[in-house]
Amino acid sequence: MADVDRFEAFVRTYQDMVFATAVRLLGNPAEAEDVAQSVFLKAFEQFDSLSTSPAAAGWLKTVARNTCLNHLSRYRSRWRFFSELGPSDADAEPGYEASLEGTDSPARTFELADDRERLEQALRRLPEHQRVPLVLFHFEDASYEEIARTLRISLAKVKTDIHRGREALRKILERKGPAKAGHYGE
Amino acid sequence: MDPADLEQLIDRELRSLPAPRAPRTLLPRVMAAANQAANRPWYSRTWLQWPAGWQVASALVLLGVVAAGGVVLPQLRDAVEAISFVADVRSDVASSAREVETATTAVRVLWRTLLAPVVPWAFGLVTLMCAACAVFGTALNHLVFGRAFR
Repeated sequence: MADVDRFEAFVRTYQDMVFATAVRLLGNPAEAEDVAQSVFLKAFEQFDSLSTSPAAAGWLKTVARNTCLNHLSRYRSRWRFFSELGPSDADAEPGYEASLEGTDSPARTFELADDRERLEQALRRLPEHQRVPLVLFHFEDASYEEIARTLRISLAKVKTDIHRGREALRKILERKGPAKAGHYGE
Repeated sequence: MDPADLEQLIDRELRSLPAPRAPRTLLPRVMAAANQAANRPWYSRTWLQWPAGWQVASALVLLGVVAAGGVVLPQLRDAVEAISFVADVRSDVASSAREVETATTAVRVLWRTLLAPVVPWAFGLVTLMCAACAVFGTALNHLVFGRAFR
């Protein structure tokens, strides 16, 4: 039982980090919770060595990232197909901006939430082909080349998708308070 | 906005975001799944989690299989070579048969085109010559040797 108690403490320590990695990559809290659970189960299988390892956090983060990418790969061919067929001037999927602005959409909730929560939600609502490389770049410190290799897409597509994702987020940022809006203006 | 400025802006904003907190349901779910995993029978876990005795036993069995493979494989190779020898013999026989067939076909063609039309005439010629020889021999016997060879 001592092991179980130690493992519970271990999960408490790292659950936010694993969940944050998963939810930002997947954009879906329910799926992120499933992935986080499977990551911790893998950790449980190696808990004897992992519990005393100083690299446990890095191990968990790597496993979480890879598990998320494996999870997404089931749908990747689909989103890659649609992203390449999609309108070239789109900031995101059709209806994405409208979904943030519409009166009968989560946009109203975002208006009431604080700026960071709004940005976090906007990030999650980006289409996968923009969100995943964006998260890998800004949160996982992956280079464009690493992202292209990981996602098995061209370097040009990585750069294009990340740029479009950033533009979409910038528009969200511009809708913040007047002071910040001026700051973010072009 | 310049792409580099945009990258800096978004990077600053995203990194300033607090990490999303795990839902309260995650920990109980993980612990329940971990307890379930801990109570699984040893053989349904990964090999590294097997009891030490079973790990040793399975390693010995594996070594035995490898050793047996080391014994069996040379014999298998010999058998394969024997099979290939038989195959070579069969190949030789088949090759010889093909040559025989080719020769037979050539002879048949020669027979039909060159010899068959001539054979009746040659047979008649030979018969006539034999008859002529017989007549000549009889006459010679009568006239010169006085039926000495009767």
